[in-house]
Amino acid sequence: MSDPLTAAPQAGALATWLAAPVPASRAQAQAQQFWRAAWRLRYNISALFGLGIILLLLLVAFFAPLIATHDIYAQDLASRLQRPSFSHYFGTDELGRDIFSRVIFGSRITLYIALLTAAIAAPLGLVVGTAAGYLGGWIDIVLMRIVDVFLAFPSLILALAFVAALGPGIENSVIAISLASWPPIARLARAETLTIRTSDYVAAARLQGASSWQIIWSDIVPMCIPSVIVRITLNMAAIILTAAGLGFLGLGAQPPSPEWGAMLSTGREFMLTNWWIAAVPGCSILVASLAFNLFGDGLRDILDPRHG
Amino acid sequence: MSILGRNAAYNRSHRVATRASTIALILGASTLATSAATPPTALVMAWNIDAISTFDPAQIGEVVTNEIIQNTCDPLVDFDTTDETKVVPRLAKSWDVSEDGKQITFHLQNGMKFPSGNKATAGDLAWSLQRVVKLGLGNAATLTEYGFTKDNVDQMFTAPDDTTLVMKLDKPYPVSLVLQAIAANRVSVLMDRQTIMKNEVNGDMGNKYLATRTECVGPYRLAKWNAGEAVVLQANEDYWGKKPALKQVLVRHVAEAGTQRLLLEKGDIDVARDLTPEDLNDLEKNAGVSVDKVLKPQLLYWNLNNADPIFSKEKVRLALRYLIDYDGLAKTVMANIGVPRASFAQIGAVGALDEKEGQPFKVDLAKAKQLLAEAGYADGFEATLFIGTHSYASPIAQSVQENAAKVGVKLKIERMSNAQLFSRVRGREYQTTIQGWQTGVPDAHGNASRQIYNPDNRIEAKQTMYPSWRSAYFSEDVNKKVDEALFEKDPAKRVQLYHALQRDMMEKGPQAFMFQMYNVAGVRKSLKAWTWNGFRTYYDLASK
Amino acid sequence: MAGTAVASTRLPVQKRQSGRKRLVRTVGRTMLSAAATLLGLVTLTFFIGRLLPLDPVIAILGDNVSQDAYNTMYRKLGLDQPLIVQYGLYLKNAFSFDFGDALTSGRPVLEDIGRVFPATIELATVAVIIGTGLGIPMGVLSAMYRNSLIDHVVRMIGLIGYSTPTFWLGLMGLTVFYASLGWVAGPGRIDFVHEFSIEPGTGFLLIDTTLQGQWDAFWNVISHIVLPASILSFGALAYISRMTRSFMIEQLGQEYVITARVKGMSWARTVWVHAFRNVAVQVVTVVALSYAFLLEGAVLTETVFAWPGFGRYLTNALLAGDMNAVVGCTLLIGAIFVTINLLSDVLYRIFDPRTR
Repeated sequence: MSDPLTAAPQAGALATWLAAPVPASRAQAQAQQFWRAAWRLRYNISALFGLGIILLLLLVAFFAPLIATHDIYAQDLASRLQRPSFSHYFGTDELGRDIFSRVIFGSRITLYIALLTAAIAAPLGLVVGTAAGYLGGWIDIVLMRIVDVFLAFPSLILALAFVAALGPGIENSVIAISLASWPPIARLARAETLTIRTSDYVAAARLQGASSWQIIWSDIVPMCIPSVIVRITLNMAAIILTAAGLGFLGLGAQPPSPEWGAMLSTGREFMLTNWWIAAVPGCSILVASLAFNLFGDGLRDILDPRHG
Repeated sequence: MSILGRNAAYNRSHRVATRASTIALILGASTLATSAATPPTALVMAWNIDAISTFDPAQIGEVVTNEIIQNTCDPLVDFDTTDETKVVPRLAKSWDVSEDGKQITFHLQNGMKFPSGNKATAGDLAWSLQRVVKLGLGNAATLTEYGFTKDNVDQMFTAPDDTTLVMKLDKPYPVSLVLQAIAANRVSVLMDRQTIMKNEVNGDMGNKYLATRTECVGPYRLAKWNAGEAVVLQANEDYWGKKPALKQVLVRHVAEAGTQRLLLEKGDIDVARDLTPEDLNDLEKNAGVSVDKVLKPQLLYWNLNNADPIFSKEKVRLALRYLIDYDGLAKTVMANIGVPRASFAQIGAVGALDEKEGQPFKVDLAKAKQLLAEAGYADGFEATLFIGTHSYASPIAQSVQENAAKVGVKLKIERMSNAQLFSRVRGREYQTTIQGWQTGVPDAHGNASRQIYNPDNRIEAKQTMYPSWRSAYFSEDVNKKVDEALFEKDPAKRVQLYHALQRDMMEKGPQAFMFQMYNVAGVRKSLKAWTWNGFRTYYDLASK
Repeated sequence: MAGTAVASTRLPVQKRQSGRKRLVRTVGRTMLSAAATLLGLVTLTFFIGRLLPLDPVIAILGDNVSQDAYNTMYRKLGLDQPLIVQYGLYLKNAFSFDFGDALTSGRPVLEDIGRVFPATIELATVAVIIGTGLGIPMGVLSAMYRNSLIDHVVRMIGLIGYSTPTFWLGLMGLTVFYASLGWVAGPGRIDFVHEFSIEPGTGFLLIDTTLQGQWDAFWNVISHIVLPASILSFGALAYISRMTRSFMIEQLGQEYVITARVKGMSWARTVWVHAFRNVAVQVVTVVALSYAFLLEGAVLTETVFAWPGFGRYLTNALLAGDMNAVVGCTLLIGAIFVTINLLSDVLYRIFDPRTR
């Protein structure tokens, strides 16, 4: 592997600041680290490809009203189950709604679920994992047993149980999937913490009289963040699939929402007669999930090479 | 890293990979192709049989188990194969009615035996009927509705000798109705008292024992049931009547309609029971398969909780009926699986309005808006709409939702498992739902007595077997009219009374009825004489 | 879920002690924590069960029951007792392996599980065999030619495996390979023709048919299992190839590899014989773990393929409010996960030089 710094452009003050051999501040150090990582990403075609799709998805979600060609709720029983054509790019569904427009709007729901779940699960897992790892003792034992209990359920089953208990709907799906996806992150963060807590700089901070929470917050958490980011990016793919699975089983987004899993579930009935109704949301799920996987995989190579 | 070394490794693993794929190809091409044909002596059927939870005739309530019980346990009398409003002899060779119309005497077949070898007598039958009332499970209402109680049932059903059963009635109900509603029903099956009572646990009269088996007289017996997998029926060698042509009936649980269709097209099954309108459409063009359908006494309706201030208003309920796109849905989502029906009495029942008169509504947003305004909801309102897991429930709900939105009514759809839906409805914890109800009686009274008539509307009365109670609908006047029609001696006049009641209920009734459902199946042409009507499927008549 | 970190991130935090004492202590501690996990599992299940808006009485008696019979059953199930009493009763039953009767089948839960579990294990085993057979060579190859076309293709296949909705793939597979091409048999474990000629035995149809010498039936079972197992194996394949790749990359960077090369050993020999032998244990752990994750994948695959297995049984039980069955299944899954985790821990302790 070539040294990323030597390959970086060497012009301008910013570049100099980013390339300074000894960072002057914590912020600079972090910015440098980030820059190096981002710079190295340029070699990773598949990761860039994944990132490209994610950005495209975000754009599509943001500009959905401009891209969509039809009202996503407007039904027309007379023109139901139409094949893809110029008036309906992806055909129409069982109630005559335009599938193209629905898929476009569906990206909003999928991204909303994935990002919100990540935003809940990652901090939760991070806090639990670092606390358990750093504090050790009983706290560690209790927290890790809780993590074990959650891990002992397959995540779809756990999400299924929570959604069944909370009632169906997007918000409840988010809660349920979050509850099912924080434990692996906690476990990862704990493992990281165990390796960090014996390091010299943590010992130094301790000698300077920093409290446990201070150390966790300012020394341990930042060190765990790269691997957690990798993990959660990879998890987003799993989250998208779980959300789709819940939608597929009828427990996720409720009709007439154009959630991809729910659309797929409807399309399942028409697999043999009108294949596009299932194929379009199916491919959308595949593409979105694949994008996060590709990007996460690339990130892992860069940020967290130990777990290859 | 030497280039040579890399190549060697590559070649080696490449060879392995090639070999592996060759093997896979051979496997795929030769050995895995299967011959598709069902056994010549068996009827093989794919059906969603998740709902089966017991085979106790006193308890079962859903369609699948009912059909299986009808083919394993003979009732006193049976529905005629072609005219379901007629009854024909089965366990009873004949019957006579006392002059006051309050006693029916059934004369049973001779020499019947249970699969256990025990002799089957009228005494067993009387006990079977008494048992249903005493257990008080789901089907007790079938009898208690006609005046049988835990206290009187021992006197009401008696067996003076081994082949005579006497049924006493507290009121002179129409005899044809009693025969349809009780004698042809799963409560009148002949159960093996001795064997069952030997396996009694904690005074349950064999309820637990019968959860997984049948002990009765019928053309088939239940040979095997694995929940959510398969039901196997075996021809009963000791059967008193004509022995069935096909020795085995194999019902395999297949939840996916698409999967059922594939199995049927491939010839791996003879009959598929849960096909979608689109599949049926395609199959009609398939040379090896025929699509067979018959109306069943099941109504799909928009259930409204009349205890809710919004839906307690007659005009709101009427307005909602103008939001249902009966014709559009019938041609698309419900094609081949249902016909529009706004009346509570099913097509084909004695006293029912005809197909046209029984569904006078069409989408009329202006009218709906006006009715809502008259009811005080000019700006509409918000409400929830619960649906179960049936594939047609969701599109119907969404169609209604879209029309409702146009008159300012915001419906929030929530899909849930059927078990959950039932819990909510029984507890009156809902605003509106879309659900089905099936009566066992080919007479307008079957639904009038449950959907309209409500014996006691108090919440603590818990008359949960009455859909009318579940939707908190009560009208003294309507109760009286239901009774009046029931006891009317003149058949023509009786029909008139039901017609009037139906017209009245389509305007003011508690629910908005939507569709009457078909029994529909894809049947391979190699299977002959697949026979059914709305109340019964006759496995024993099928042949190959 | 992509559970890559379960085994590899468990780092030992033990001080050195004398071998035997340490072993006893470790075993004791592990057993204790496993027991605690199971207790937690049972408790969680109980509360999920209480939260479910489903009525177990209706699940048993059906929707159309009189209030009288309803109340009787309500009391019989102990639902009128205070929550804490119910919990106690529930614990007592759970730990004496008495899960009661499944409400939906009327049979003891253990009997039901005994019937459905072999179906899932058989499916998962075939899936693991396929996944391992393809995944390991793919992983090794892509480590050998890191960042080459092969590597990218392998990673792409793996990631697509991770990213595809199983249920969709399943239906597509059925349409193509069963309906159109007719290469494989359809849904279910075996054709009806054979189903009743096989004597009940182990419950694993491949084994039963072999033992009874029913080769027609054996091939029939194979033709039924190959498609769902292949589709299920996709996820395992992705996981195994990815982990194998990363283990191998780590090994190939080690000094002994360079030494071996300098000494003139062939590249293929170095990779397959030396490097691979060193990661074999890790790979075995990964295979064991992927087994556990297949249980989850099985839920949706089993639905599509009408496979009478454990995943579908549990899903149905959840949706029907059949708490007895849910508890039994949950504990079983939990026990499997705990056991696999324990095993992977033990394997690590034994084989990983850093923890010795």
